[in-house]
Amino acid sequence: MASPVKSKSMATIRVQRFNPDSDAKPYMQEFQVPNLQGTTLLDALHRIKHEQDGSLTFRRSCRHAICGSCAMNVNGRNILVCKAPLQGQLDRKGAVTIKPLPYLPIIKDLVVDRSTFWNEYLRVKPWLVPPATSPEKEFRMSPQEVAALHNAETCIMCGACYSACQVVALNKEYIGPHALLKSFLRVLDPRDSIPGERLAEVGTDEGVFRCHTIFNCIDACPKNLNPTQAIETLRRLAQKRTAFEAARVERQRTIAGSLDAEVTPAAEGGVGDVP
Amino acid sequence: MYRSTGFVSFVLRRLTGIALVLYLIAHIWVIGSVNGGPELFNSRLAAVQTPIFKLAEVALLAAVVYHAFDGIRLLIVHYFDVTEYRKSLFYAAFVVSVILTIAGGLPILLFAFQG
Amino acid sequence: MRVFQFQRISAIALLVFLTIHMTVVHYPPFHIDFSRIIDRMGQPLWKAIDIAFLFFVLLHAISGSYAVLIDLGGVARMKRTLAASAILLAIVGFVYGTLTILAFQPPV
Repeated sequence: MASPVKSKSMATIRVQRFNPDSDAKPYMQEFQVPNLQGTTLLDALHRIKHEQDGSLTFRRSCRHAICGSCAMNVNGRNILVCKAPLQGQLDRKGAVTIKPLPYLPIIKDLVVDRSTFWNEYLRVKPWLVPPATSPEKEFRMSPQEVAALHNAETCIMCGACYSACQVVALNKEYIGPHALLKSFLRVLDPRDSIPGERLAEVGTDEGVFRCHTIFNCIDACPKNLNPTQAIETLRRLAQKRTAFEAARVERQRTIAGSLDAEVTPAAEGGVGDVP
Repeated sequence: MYRSTGFVSFVLRRLTGIALVLYLIAHIWVIGSVNGGPELFNSRLAAVQTPIFKLAEVALLAAVVYHAFDGIRLLIVHYFDVTEYRKSLFYAAFVVSVILTIAGGLPILLFAFQG
Repeated sequence: MRVFQFQRISAIALLVFLTIHMTVVHYPPFHIDFSRIIDRMGQPLWKAIDIAFLFFVLLHAISGSYAVLIDLGGVARMKRTLAASAILLAIVGFVYGTLTILAFQPPV
């Protein structure tokens, strides 16, 4: 993290620009904004757009780190600009460099084409497939089973991890850390009734076995999630798929039980704690 | 490229791997002559024992050692959750590789340039 | 999945074989020529160890090369051809190596 530069009154924002209608290739442009404590990089981008250059194009929505729209490459790292304090990102000369997420086609300025990102996400069927019998009142899950899902549920689909991944950079066939984390979420969910199908889909050379444990995804994630560990777990489960499927069938016998029944989580393939 | 220790480890692992495959081909060329009698074998071996090749041998040792210890690091990462220590593990593997290369490389060079 | 498993299994095997190889062949005395190897290479035990070593080396090298090649986007379409060529190359290498090792007789 660059040291804060509080003494300078103005900060320099170097932004990558590219207009496909008029530019041959991307170029950097500098703007000056007031160096105010408490402003975020997103505030700075808005100030530039509203006061200096209305053509500056970027994605944003909620501005409080939950929608996942504003992931960009700042000073070489993928972050959410809405939660990055301006002063925390400035170097000693009071400048910050903002580029779009790397390795994805640029549509305009800081907006990238996330088609492959979304296609891989859909490919892993990121929705729950509940068992045939619906519960009268609720699904009975143990606290441990719920806890194992907690971190993976927090993903906001911002794309920081996908865009930081070297394997994605080399080859867009790789499913990607974001989709594998979502697959992990559903595979570990005892309410889901197709774990075998999911493991078959991601347990391939395009999926979990393509990850080279470079760990960029963990570095990039604004929610401190751990796709690498999720992928390692899926690798283990993919190699024991039949046993895991059988354990899930067994587990689902009690999951839609009555309130009086005891919750007995089956040992599902030695899944460890997800950090 | 998105810079990180994981990226450096990945690139070095790949480069040493490719170098070792190329070495394997050269090695097969030398050792495969063993059934051609002592003269053929010794002459092929002598061709790859010149001082330049001795330096290359130290580089080979470095490649083998780095590749092996980064591989051990990967095995650890696969079986244990090392998220917290991922950078330290990489530095440890790298340092061990450097130490072993020096420890193994010095005798090679000393022997080659005095013998 | 298989490539990943072959890679890991051969890696562990190689750690063992490489240690044996380095201590027996390369460290002291450092001078290597025909006379140094003939005693060892004539023995059936060492022939067996060398054949096993060759097997795991080829397994690891071919799996690794395959992994590197499929990461390069352009060749991914030829995956099946690559896999078949790699397996063929490995078999040729293994057969050649094994025959050479077995055929070796220390000259009288």
